[in-house]
Amino acid sequence: MNNPTLEKKSNSFVPLLVVAVIGLILYLPVMLLANYGPAQKLLSSGAELECKTALECAFQMRNPVVPAPMQLWDGFKNMSLPPLEPTSVPYNLLVTAGETLLGLLLASVTGLLLAVLLVSSRAFERSVLPWLVASQTIPIVAVAPMLAVLLGQYGVQGWVPKALIAAFIAFFPICIGLAKGLRSPDPLSLDLMNTYHASRVQIFLKLRFPASVPYLFTALKVSAAAALVGSIVAEISSISFSGLGKMLAENSRASDGVALWVIMIYGAVLGIVLVALINWLERVLTPWQRKG
Amino acid sequence: MSQNPSSLNSLVSVKNVGMVFRSSAGETTALQEANLEIQQGEFISLIGPSGCGKTTLLRLLADLVSATSGEILIGGMTPSVARANRAYGYVFQAPVLYDWRTVISNVLLPLEIMNYPAQTRKARAEEMLRLVGLEKFAKNYPWQLSGGMQQRVSIARALAFDPKLLFMDEPFGALDEITRENLNLELLRLWRETGKTVIFVTHSIDEAVFLSTRVVVMTARPGRIERIIEVDLPQPRDENTRELPRFFEISTEIRECLRRGHQ
Repeated sequence: MNNPTLEKKSNSFVPLLVVAVIGLILYLPVMLLANYGPAQKLLSSGAELECKTALECAFQMRNPVVPAPMQLWDGFKNMSLPPLEPTSVPYNLLVTAGETLLGLLLASVTGLLLAVLLVSSRAFERSVLPWLVASQTIPIVAVAPMLAVLLGQYGVQGWVPKALIAAFIAFFPICIGLAKGLRSPDPLSLDLMNTYHASRVQIFLKLRFPASVPYLFTALKVSAAAALVGSIVAEISSISFSGLGKMLAENSRASDGVALWVIMIYGAVLGIVLVALINWLERVLTPWQRKG
Repeated sequence: MSQNPSSLNSLVSVKNVGMVFRSSAGETTALQEANLEIQQGEFISLIGPSGCGKTTLLRLLADLVSATSGEILIGGMTPSVARANRAYGYVFQAPVLYDWRTVISNVLLPLEIMNYPAQTRKARAEEMLRLVGLEKFAKNYPWQLSGGMQQRVSIARALAFDPKLLFMDEPFGALDEITRENLNLELLRLWRETGKTVIFVTHSIDEAVFLSTRVVVMTARPGRIERIIEVDLPQPRDENTRELPRFFEISTEIRECLRRGHQ
């Protein structure tokens, strides 16, 4: 028998590119549509401007709704170079990425511990699960400054409190996903273990944990996005000296729309890279999963 | 009911065993007053309609459920002690291979759990795969194999730790006729080569007669043993066995017995 993997080698980038091209084509009309009105208002307000018509002004407003391509390009250049300067976006992106990754790691560890406890003990599940659900309804914007102050008293400052906030949001999907995964083995798989007279620990190690790995990755993809939002919100809502959130807060106060767009695009790319990283890890660590 | 006089020497001894399930609808007798003695090296089939307690009897022997009355001894041990001593290998209706393990590593599973020394494990698993003719697929994942091959892997896994007894619960029920007949032949070869005692649940009369030394005919509501029929067909059996007149006689006998029990 040949390997029956039906791996069609079709290029998965083609549909992706089509959408990208459509996006690029639509960009200019959307930008004009969004900026034309504000530009007209600006002209009629009699402000001192270098542009004569609303159409012209739509390309050069200081605080555009959607930045013009050249504005965006200049914004990227000015905010990215040199990349490792504390005031440039790439440096701050790395800070946020570090917080998010540390947060995800902490979330995975706590999520795993809680999931094992939830699955092992009905009493634990009944007494603790409602509180875990409740914990997720607390707005992080409210928790973040409090946690920053609280941790600051113990000398924990800088990016660690942000990672903790990211973990606080990210642990929940991981915990629930893993608990489902640990419970996923069917009765026959468990019977098989019993015919071997396997211990509870062995059943966890040889059956429940491996069975829950695909669930972990699904949960991680949800959690990665949540952790990123968590660390950015934490940066915005507590005292920060670096990070995308700190830059967003600064430029928002300065009403620099182009800068906000640049930071937002960097943040989006970070999110995509994180999920891609998890996808890659999943492919490497679960080679048994059917492709396609 | 035929009570074997040499019950002291039997490998499996079932005495007055009953099993009652309690549910909201009341009590259901899954098995009533079952008596059975099985000697070393026998191939016993349990046959009957669904609900006759054949799978329940197998699960009782395997200590996957506990009897509500009667006594079961396996090699002189209670089922729970027998299970702790890894006295039997169990083949389920489905192959129950673990997706994340390759074929060989599925066969290694019981050896890992039973803490076999790492050096001997691999050789043993390879030997088992050779026995079922799947050594070429050692590195494949289960989903890459056909249903019949997956069930062969599960038989190799059940034999890996060399138990005396092999319990098989409708292992070929989900397979097509041709695959099933091939696997029947292969199973008989394994049985001859390894000298295991096999207890085999099926609802195919043909399969039961072809494989067994004795067939235990069971009937439903309440589940009980109707008769035990000796299959005196010559050994070793092959493709021609199914065409012997005696094969039809025994098949007919079982069929009539099942029909009587159904009324």
